Amino acid sequence: MNLSLADPFSLSQDYPEVFSHSLHYGHSSCVVFNRRGDLLASGRHDGTVVLFDVETGGLARIMRGHTRSVQSVSWSRDGRYLLSASLDCKCILWDLEDGSRKRVVRFEAAVYYAELHPFNYELFAAAIHEDFPYLIDISNPRTVRNKLSSLPRKSPTGSDEDETPAITKAAAQEAKALTLSTLFDSTGQFLICATTRGWVNIVHVATQSTIFSTRITKSAIVTARLSLSGRSLIFNSRDRILRSVHMPPLTDEDIEDPSDILFEVEHTYQDLVNRLYWNHCDISPTGEYICASTYMNHDVYIWETNKGSLVKILEGPKEELGFVDWHPTRPMIVASGLETGRIYIWATNNPQRWSALAPDFQELEENVEYVEKEDEFDYKDRAEMTKARLDREDEEVDLVGMDDVPGDLRDDEKRWTMPVLLDIEESSEDDDVKIVGPTAATSQKKKKKGESAGGADEKKGKKRKAGD
Amino acid sequence: MDPIDTNGRLSPPLKRQRTVSPSPPLYRETQAFDTSTARVAVSSLRSPQTQSLTNGVGPRKQSSRTNYRLKLTLTGHKRGVSSVKFSPDGKWIASASADKTLRVWDARNGDLEQIFEAHTAGISDVAWSPDSKTLATASDDKTIRLWELKSGRMIRILKGHHNYVYCLNFNPQGNMIVSGSYDEAVRIWDIRSGNCQKTLPAHQDPVSGVDFIRDGTMIASCSHDKLIRIWDTNTGQCLKTLVEEELPPVSCVRFSPNGKYILASTLDSSIRLWDYLRDGGKVLKTYLGHVNTKYSIFSAFSNDGKYIFSGSEDAAIYVWDVQTKEVLQVLRSHEDVVLGVSAHPTENLLVSCGLDGTVKIWADEREGSSSTTIP
Repeated sequence: MNLSLADPFSLSQDYPEVFSHSLHYGHSSCVVFNRRGDLLASGRHDGTVVLFDVETGGLARIMRGHTRSVQSVSWSRDGRYLLSASLDCKCILWDLEDGSRKRVVRFEAAVYYAELHPFNYELFAAAIHEDFPYLIDISNPRTVRNKLSSLPRKSPTGSDEDETPAITKAAAQEAKALTLSTLFDSTGQFLICATTRGWVNIVHVATQSTIFSTRITKSAIVTARLSLSGRSLIFNSRDRILRSVHMPPLTDEDIEDPSDILFEVEHTYQDLVNRLYWNHCDISPTGEYICASTYMNHDVYIWETNKGSLVKILEGPKEELGFVDWHPTRPMIVASGLETGRIYIWATNNPQRWSALAPDFQELEENVEYVEKEDEFDYKDRAEMTKARLDREDEEVDLVGMDDVPGDLRDDEKRWTMPVLLDIEESSEDDDVKIVGPTAATSQKKKKKGESAGGADEKKGKKRKAGD
Repeated sequence: MDPIDTNGRLSPPLKRQRTVSPSPPLYRETQAFDTSTARVAVSSLRSPQTQSLTNGVGPRKQSSRTNYRLKLTLTGHKRGVSSVKFSPDGKWIASASADKTLRVWDARNGDLEQIFEAHTAGISDVAWSPDSKTLATASDDKTIRLWELKSGRMIRILKGHHNYVYCLNFNPQGNMIVSGSYDEAVRIWDIRSGNCQKTLPAHQDPVSGVDFIRDGTMIASCSHDKLIRIWDTNTGQCLKTLVEEELPPVSCVRFSPNGKYILASTLDSSIRLWDYLRDGGKVLKTYLGHVNTKYSIFSAFSNDGKYIFSGSEDAAIYVWDVQTKEVLQVLRSHEDVVLGVSAHPTENLLVSCGLDGTVKIWADEREGSSSTTIP
């Protein structure tokens, strides 16, 4: 609801520009915001899942259950359930109402990636090491595992002359293809599976059949991400290129003729000079920007997707970054450090507007000659004026109605709020939660000076310190 | 009484003179006392002082008159009661007093549920967490303390303010507290860790009121420096300042239930409803009739958004119609200044507290009102 009063200039900032602060509680291996953006889930190397409160930077939950590194975490739509996938061959569905394990699903091998269905938290897809991906249904006490194929869909005979030879040539190799990412599309009807052979398979969830396949690269696709809007996809592959794809409209009617699905690479993103590998990538909620962390480098790159141009390189920490995630509503990016497991956060820098503090003063660009108003020094009877003012107060006011209130949460997203626990076990860890960065520094400074002028220099100094 | 035992809200803020008599005549040791006799049940009596004002104006359109009657008087506090609040689930009433205690009462029958003692000076304000499980108190001992209702334990102590803590509120998510103090700052606290997250150099005089908007993204603060400021919770920056020519010291501020307006009480015996979104802010309504020149008196919205309640220095509670600004009812029973009022979240119940050390529950007996739960 602060949108109506916020500085239009700061609202126009679409992507983060400055390093804000870092969070540290154990060695984080993956970080994901929930849909509302008030909580950040961090899977740790030791198998613990930790929830941070984005607003306060404090610890909200600690959940222990895995014994080895957590590879991915996935939130349910309402934010109540969290699915974690780990190298200890387990997926755990957590109920955040009380932090309990709602379901534990064991696999034969390590789990690389698991994602909850966007509407049904009792259905998820998992990518398994050296195995086919699975679609897991846990609505019944007995877990139903449906094996999906990693193989591309065989083209109907003679339908596509160009592709047929490629398929036959690589057929033997294709059999060894592994799926590393399994994404649900925004409707939850289809799964997008990316394989180590560069194929993208679209699987119909209800029938578990591959309805469409296309090969977007010859090397392995290691990461696939879908934007929150559900309209853009990004694939990160081992050939050092990120590929963005405009998500084709998938509805049940399209299954009639799946080969018509238009699934083409829109833009490719690469660093031609440094030939950097990308560790991980994400898309902004609207799909306007993509960000990626770099291999053997400390930076996060941001491109805009309209023209495919690089707009920003975020600097800050002195370590290589792994997982990156874009905040669902704000211009904010988090990334986990590979070496220390710290979580780094970039955001925008919003300077204080002077006119907000003193509304009777105006900010002027240049000198303006003062012109006295006609009635400025006229004598007015105060009592009469007050009476006249009170009489004018006849406007109807609605104190309860929520119509046309800007920025209010949509209904499906405010249904469930996580209870605030005040007794999370904190003392058991050696390293306490630390928030390092200019956020704390500015507030202290403000207290001293009471103003934000000249804050830039000091902030820079703090930033450097935080990076050390 | 030791010298530190002042109370921000109970002392008139500008003069800081002590006005609470050390022991109100009604004082009884509630813990040892049978609760059924400790409170004065007057539900059968029609309080003769309760009167409706007609103001010489005939009944205006759709202003259905309230008919609040005194139901229960809760005694036990040994000094003036500075703040009283219904819990968000409507089951409890919390009252904070200059006698350094916080008491929680059953909203249904007025039984004393818990007494929380640990503060070393008087308490100026109390707030409920949105889940009704935790309470926070602001005290003249410069601390904020968090209490767990179920166990009666103190679970956090928030230190940081350099002077009396005067007012506080939870955010709707329940993970933060905002507090205002005599040290002229507004602080935002992370209640999980108990750390102060932000210190806003908010005002140039004691901060007399703070409130979160319904989605928690903004904070309103007011002060005796005559300003009402609106802050962005996330960035800690001032988004807007509401001023009016010759606005007197502001003593209480709160957002309307839908967050579109701000209700502010000022020490010129008026309460103003602001449309803060309009350029520069505009006063839409001014509610007059009560007396408020010295104390920081709470005001409250009814749960349906049709009425506004406020305490008054003439020992009464005033009820206004939001639209017509007409005084619908004046509730008299308190023997001294009424400092706090709070409306029940769902039923037509009202609770008030004052310098006389009592907490009183009122129920609307108008036809069609739903407050029939109290026996």
